[in-house]
Amino acid sequence: MTKLKVEHLKKNFGKLEVLKDLNIEVQEGEVICIIGPSGSGKSTFLRCMNALEEITGGKVIIDNFDLTDPKQDINKVRENIGMVFQQFNLFPHLTVLDNITLAPKELKKESAETSEKRALELLETVGLSEKANDYPKSLSGGQKQRVAIARALAMDPDIMLFDEPTSALDPEMVGDVLEVMQKLADQGMTMLVVTHEMGFAKEVADRVIFMDGGYIVEEGDPKEVFDNPQQERTKNFLEKVLI
Amino acid sequence: MITKQNQFLGAVFALFLGLFLSLSTPIHASAEKGTESDPYVITTDVTYAPFEFKNAEGDYVGIDVETLDAIAEDQNFSYELRPLAFSAGLQALESNQVDGMIAAMSITDERKESFDFSDPYFEAGTVMAVSKNNDAISSYEDLDGKTVAVKVGTTGAAFVTELKKQFDIDINQFEDSATMYEDVVSGHSDAVFDDYPVMAYAVQQGLKLQFPLDPEAGDVYGFAVNKGQNPELLEKFNAGLATIKENGVHKEITDKYTSENSEAATSNNFFTLIQNNYSELLTGLGRTLVLTLVSFAIALVVGVILGLFSATSNNLLSGISTLYVTIMRGIPLIVLAFFVYFSIPQFLNIQLSAYLAGVITLSLNTSAYISELVRGGIQAVAGGQLEAARSLGLPYKTSMRKIVLPQAIKIMIPSFINQFVITLKDTSILSVIGIVELTQTGKIIIARTYSSGNMWLIIGIMYIVLITILTKLSTVLERKISND
Repeated sequence: MTKLKVEHLKKNFGKLEVLKDLNIEVQEGEVICIIGPSGSGKSTFLRCMNALEEITGGKVIIDNFDLTDPKQDINKVRENIGMVFQQFNLFPHLTVLDNITLAPKELKKESAETSEKRALELLETVGLSEKANDYPKSLSGGQKQRVAIARALAMDPDIMLFDEPTSALDPEMVGDVLEVMQKLADQGMTMLVVTHEMGFAKEVADRVIFMDGGYIVEEGDPKEVFDNPQQERTKNFLEKVLI
Repeated sequence: MITKQNQFLGAVFALFLGLFLSLSTPIHASAEKGTESDPYVITTDVTYAPFEFKNAEGDYVGIDVETLDAIAEDQNFSYELRPLAFSAGLQALESNQVDGMIAAMSITDERKESFDFSDPYFEAGTVMAVSKNNDAISSYEDLDGKTVAVKVGTTGAAFVTELKKQFDIDINQFEDSATMYEDVVSGHSDAVFDDYPVMAYAVQQGLKLQFPLDPEAGDVYGFAVNKGQNPELLEKFNAGLATIKENGVHKEITDKYTSENSEAATSNNFFTLIQNNYSELLTGLGRTLVLTLVSFAIALVVGVILGLFSATSNNLLSGISTLYVTIMRGIPLIVLAFFVYFSIPQFLNIQLSAYLAGVITLSLNTSAYISELVRGGIQAVAGGQLEAARSLGLPYKTSMRKIVLPQAIKIMIPSFINQFVITLKDTSILSVIGIVELTQTGKIIIARTYSSGNMWLIIGIMYIVLITILTKLSTVLERKISND
């Protein structure tokens, strides 16, 4: 079943064209990794999927809802799309628990009890039960990112967007975060991941998209793309990153 | 979203309008003026001893004040005395903010074009004074190459302007007599020109000036109304003046202040100054504090709203905020004070009390700066935090309220405290429209005692103490908020 459909997506920053006519379709439960050099537009593309960036042209359709329709209540759509940022963006004035329960309490009108029970379950999944009452500043980068994933999951989204989730982490923290993401993928979550972790992309992704210069240059099965790239640009990029 | 913001905007405008209307009263064209309920408003100079000044009890006394009072009693009309700096008083009279003016004002042809004058009630001449230890100046010729102090808009100033045509004279302009005299005593200016009775009184009070020459031929002082306005008030004044001249009351009043045996000067050291004037000083301090608190509270509400406007992506709202800040930051506070007190009442045909005008001025000015503080605080927090909140599906308002503002406020508190201190000090500028806050209280006491050295020291210390106490309190508050 088609979960997400992007048609002729365009995005300009002023006169600069960042995305030029992108088209993809994502099936439910599919895990897609988006790779490419910096400035290729992959983060911008991801941020268009929940309209954090205003879309210049084309259509983004999620579960038959058109994001570009001005009558669309964007907040309702976002409730079903979780997002994880490179810089975590935890709320520093709230405890780990309050970070996670804020949105369910505000938007789903869940009771404190229900939302806290759910939050503790999520913290257990990401291996941070004992940190529930700590403030974010006392956590390491890897722990912060796992809390951020738990926070996004608390709204029970059916798509998760990851924007370079491990790029700001010390190398020894990367594994914990990737493990949590792998677990999510195994549970059948639809995921779009912008990443530089080629190993993760190779192992977990159902499909890899290579972007450059605002276009999708190549896409396909990870084995195909990594072992036998069809495009010259893909080859060049992979040679540089897979040393 | 947009419609909600527009409703919000409408509500803010309504609030402003309501506030403005409720605080202002329209001029009513009543035939019966000068009654208990609708007294004449008569302006006088803030300090111009012996014509008008506050005595140690805090009451206005002097030749002008007592002459007016005697006439009002004789003619059976009520009035409200509204002291304003001389030039501000002239503007107030011209703009019908007040009904009449009695401020040792010489009757000149030039002024007759703008005002109608009563019969003269006092004869005085301009005289030159120099420091007691200055023997170098004994004639007008000696002023060549020298600096002369004058008071803006006075006959003395006009006289010096004439002298300047013959001699190379630098002119220092002042708004009140006491400061002008001190300028000569302290040696900044070489000579001063002012009305003889005023300076004679000051010298009797201990001012270290002397008169090398006799006074110029006399000017006559008159009570003034705006051209063509309040003719009946002028008639009453003339009739009353005739009566008190006849029955000797008028001579009694003038002798009290100009005869050789005027009340003796009192000692004015640091501690006697405090002892004699502490209640007046504390009243002034209280006014400064109330003025600051009221203005800052209003500015906080308006400033936060405007700051939120400027942080939105809505072009109309952020445009309004930018325009407001540009205008308010572009106007010096003193000009804004004059604009609010003189221009707005003329444009809208209303009357504003000086106190209200002061609050409006400070609120307008401070809210612009607070708006910028709020914008800066929000911008420092927003970005990733706002995106994270929005990505969870939280609406803009909820995201601001729950995520951005709680963090922004913590960042902004030190700047708010700083702005509060600035606003408190800015209240001193409002003395120009006649608000008797702490600085003006100091000026008034100096005008009576001629003790600027010690008095400004006392006033300075009072500001420092008040601001230090308030800053300490704010720091405690800040710590409480940061720790919750």
